[in-house]
Amino acid sequence: MKAPKFPQQVISLAIIFAILLGGLIAARILLVPKSFGKYGHYRADAADEVASLDIKYAGYKACLECHDDIYVIKEKSNHRGLSCEVCHGAAAKHIEAPDEFVPDAPRGRGYCPLCHGYNPSRPTGFPQIITLQHNPGKPCMTCHNPHNPLLPHSPEECSACHREIASQKRVSHHSSLPCEKCHTVPARHTTDPRSALPKKPTTREFCGGCHDKNAASPKEIPRIELASHGGRYLCWECHYPHHPEAK
Amino acid sequence: MESMIASAVSALQDFTGYIYPNEYELHWELLIVVYPYLTGLVAGAFILASLERVFNVKELQPVYRLSLLSALAFLFVAPLPLLAHLGHPERSLEMFLTPHTKSAMAMFGFVYAWYLMVVLLLEIWFDYRKSMVIWSREKKGMMGFIYRILTLGATDISESSLRFDDKVGKAITIIGIPSAFLLHGYVGFIFGSIKANPWWSSVLMPIVFLFSAIVSGIALILALYMITTMFRFKEISMPCLNKLAELLIYAMIVDFSLELLDFIQRLYESEESINILSHMISSRLFISLIISQIILGSLVPMISLIWARFGRLPVEMRRIVYFIAALLVQVGIFSTRWNVVIGGQLFSKSLRGLTVYKIELFGFEGLLTTCFFLLLPFAILYVLTKLLPPWIIDEKDIKPAEAQVS
Repeated sequence: MKAPKFPQQVISLAIIFAILLGGLIAARILLVPKSFGKYGHYRADAADEVASLDIKYAGYKACLECHDDIYVIKEKSNHRGLSCEVCHGAAAKHIEAPDEFVPDAPRGRGYCPLCHGYNPSRPTGFPQIITLQHNPGKPCMTCHNPHNPLLPHSPEECSACHREIASQKRVSHHSSLPCEKCHTVPARHTTDPRSALPKKPTTREFCGGCHDKNAASPKEIPRIELASHGGRYLCWECHYPHHPEAK
Repeated sequence: MESMIASAVSALQDFTGYIYPNEYELHWELLIVVYPYLTGLVAGAFILASLERVFNVKELQPVYRLSLLSALAFLFVAPLPLLAHLGHPERSLEMFLTPHTKSAMAMFGFVYAWYLMVVLLLEIWFDYRKSMVIWSREKKGMMGFIYRILTLGATDISESSLRFDDKVGKAITIIGIPSAFLLHGYVGFIFGSIKANPWWSSVLMPIVFLFSAIVSGIALILALYMITTMFRFKEISMPCLNKLAELLIYAMIVDFSLELLDFIQRLYESEESINILSHMISSRLFISLIISQIILGSLVPMISLIWARFGRLPVEMRRIVYFIAALLVQVGIFSTRWNVVIGGQLFSKSLRGLTVYKIELFGFEGLLTTCFFLLLPFAILYVLTKLLPPWIIDEKDIKPAEAQVS
């Protein structure tokens, strides 16, 4: 049988593509690790390699065995959810040789702001400070005990904890209003915030007290017909009271 | 300390409303604007070339080879902005060694390799094979050696062999059209499939990208053809130029209508993001979207092209209008890419605030690097035109074309 005759250019290209394909296959054989793809799109041996690394963290139960006095205090404080090694660093070596290796304790001003520095994405009510303004130069431990971080005195302003709301309100037309104008704040809220929550307005009439067209308030305040404006919706379902101009 | 507070306050003043901390800085910067712009030019230039080859639009013969070489020059540079943006360019080879079929970004390697190896290089090779064999015999020294390598040993230029080249070239072009759609549709797909971003998430995105690619490709070839002809002191083929202008008008009308449709649908849907998006359009994107993309980049060139093509204008004037319109289209399409890439990151996912983007001058993501990547394809194209001159066809055909100058 006569073999089919291929044009010269097909043969040349076939050789080139065969070399490229061969190169790719050879590269795959040589360069792709043997365990790649065993469990997923990664090198399976990597899991064993990571598992064989030295353990660096001991876990809070190991700390508890010797430092139970501190643990008891911490468990009743606002830092109860934090493990010891969050602040003191990895301490497995300390468990093995307590005298030779002593865990570090952050005593400067740099560490606490990692959680307590002002950041608008933190939950409202979470204690936050602007490091540059908050007792400049003083280490945090001078006033706060990290194992029982009570405030040295109750906050003087709502913005100490509700900074995000305060900074929005400050640039809004409601900036001159004190928080107490709309919220009834129990005295205990400043010392035990979660057990004594402030009250919020519940009716449309509350906002109408200033914004209704018949309200006895300064004439620069925007007015609405309270009976018909916004139908059955409550005011704060459309207007954000802490920044009512925001769209 | 006061100065530190003052500088922090001045930085914060650039943001408006509420944005999350990880949204202050943009992660995809200028180089990611350049990437879809360059791939768009590749796809557009190739689709233009295919019109001559597959659909037999004879007027486009003078720009057929120029389109192919331009597509190749821009394709070489297209992935470089991505590599510069990511760092560690050597890791890009992992895409081929350990292919991840469920990752659209990882599959780009294959889309790119397919387009480069199977479509563009093959089509150019088959198209130039006869010329390369002749040059390899005529030229001496280094150039002769290069041409001998480029022929890959296939030196048969008999009639039957050339007929085979032509057939294969046509078949590759037919495969190349969906491949070009895939290449640039893919870029739109990447943006369109990001569900969390209301500015990007749209099924129309790949289609809009594709048509804007065709617009930018035709405009690029129109401008390149005029510039190269001028520097070669040759007569320009007016039928070719007119055809390019016509195609550009049609493509622009479709592109503009699609973008308008997308816009109207967003307005009608009026999802919760509409307020922040309209705020962004009227503030941060006003110059790049309303002025640069819509007015200068779409309406002005579209109207002036229609006026120049179908109005009674002297030939010289017509050429000038075509050229300016082609440049404006480039500005418009670059703005389109800017508005997609940068616009999609300027508003907060909280839908309540806007951030700002300021271009750096130096650095990997800076203006100078971007200028380098935008100019590099022209340098490559210059080398390619020296190696594989695309002018032979038009010089042969220019005579009958001159008679048709309208």
